[in-house]
Amino acid sequence: MVAVDYLLAGMISVLTGLDRVALVQIMISRPLVAGPLTGWALGNPLVGLEIGMLLELLWLGRLPVGAAIPPDDTQVAVGATVLAAGTGHFVGLDGMPLVLLSVLIAIPLGKFGQVFDKLARHVNDRLAISGYNALMSGNTAKMERCHLLGLVSFGLASLATALVIVLVGTFILFSFAPVLIGAIQEAGLSLQYSLILVGAAVLLGTTNVNRGISLFCTAFIGTLLVLWLR
Amino acid sequence: MKIMHRPKLNWLTFLRMYLRSFLLQSSWNFEKLQNLGFYFMILPGLRDIYGEEVPEDVRERHMDYFNTHPYFATLVAGTTLRLEAGSRIGEEPSVDAETYKSMVMAPFAAMGDALFWGGVRPLAALIGLLIASQGSLWAPIVFLLIFNLPHLFFRGSGLMLGYLQELHAIETVQKCRLPDLAIRLKESTTILVGVLCAYLSFKGCEHQELPAVWGFVILPIVLLFAWLAHKGVSSLFLVLLTTSSLLLLALLF
Repeated sequence: MVAVDYLLAGMISVLTGLDRVALVQIMISRPLVAGPLTGWALGNPLVGLEIGMLLELLWLGRLPVGAAIPPDDTQVAVGATVLAAGTGHFVGLDGMPLVLLSVLIAIPLGKFGQVFDKLARHVNDRLAISGYNALMSGNTAKMERCHLLGLVSFGLASLATALVIVLVGTFILFSFAPVLIGAIQEAGLSLQYSLILVGAAVLLGTTNVNRGISLFCTAFIGTLLVLWLR
Repeated sequence: MKIMHRPKLNWLTFLRMYLRSFLLQSSWNFEKLQNLGFYFMILPGLRDIYGEEVPEDVRERHMDYFNTHPYFATLVAGTTLRLEAGSRIGEEPSVDAETYKSMVMAPFAAMGDALFWGGVRPLAALIGLLIASQGSLWAPIVFLLIFNLPHLFFRGSGLMLGYLQELHAIETVQKCRLPDLAIRLKESTTILVGVLCAYLSFKGCEHQELPAVWGFVILPIVLLFAWLAHKGVSSLFLVLLTTSSLLLLALLF
């Protein structure tokens, strides 16, 4: 990976991070999109897609309501893709084991995203006061500037989260890959499917639907029977 | 100062407000949440109504605490501007713009959260995941299309609806029965979760060269994890639990 690739990944980190709350919200921030997008920038969109699949459902049920800040799955997807597509081959790994290891390292580091996001919103508290004062004194242009400056704090928070995941993640990857890789290769596909199943279970548990369990069980049993008997 | 005719907003103003609605939450803050963003969004409309110098009392009332679902904000903005235009010619509606905003923001927020965050988004993600499980890079594109067609339509139509129908827009929204639609979408999502889990169980059995009937073992495990998630156990803990169990099994056997 060359410097331009890292720069591109950084830009995607900021762009997708802004999409979470501050800008547009067309959902390019979802891991299913952010992963392949980062992978595409680094020349390997399929790695990003695999990472996006593993992460998509994990926090999908956590709604960004009011002042609640869900874990930053966007930067987890971006960071894990950078680790898998850019850094992993330095430790002699590739394929699904590297994808799994990158995701497992990036998930806990996503907690930093909540800290940086909270910080950005506190910075915005000050911007909101400045904007209010400017507007009340008749300076509408300054109010608009204060509002748009909020994008900078959210963008920086996203970039900082991605940087922590990539830097700390690289260190962990180099330190623990030799120890863990054997077991991860053994667990392989089971681990990959299990992570998606955990996400599905979490979504099922956090979606409040009457008859939800009956609907889920019927769909599960019906589909498995069709696949088994066809 | 009152005027004789209701000021009209032109299409360029609506376009500006529509585009500005994408920046509603740029300065989201803990104190007054979306207040600055809401004023930023309706500013082109206020300028059409009051001219370049928006009166101080109007500025003051639109800088108050505001928080609703970002996709419903255009609907609130449309009605608010219509009420402002009415007050400019001396109309006295049953509720003023400030009361209207504080009255609808919470119900619209709840409606939007249930419909978009709880309904459309998980359904689109599940469809995307089912496509991605075939290794297709169309998955993110399909996901974005399914989510954004209703999203972008809702933002635009909300703005027009709010402006054209004023307070009657609330009745129109009620007639759309959006909470019922949200429930139907959640039910569809639950069915797709079942399909996805069954498909992954089947593929897992194939990979391990086990008969597909073993796939049924996954069902109680997923239900147990769903129950744990429902009880508030974090996703991170469940991931760590699953990973460590599988790695231990891989090392032992």
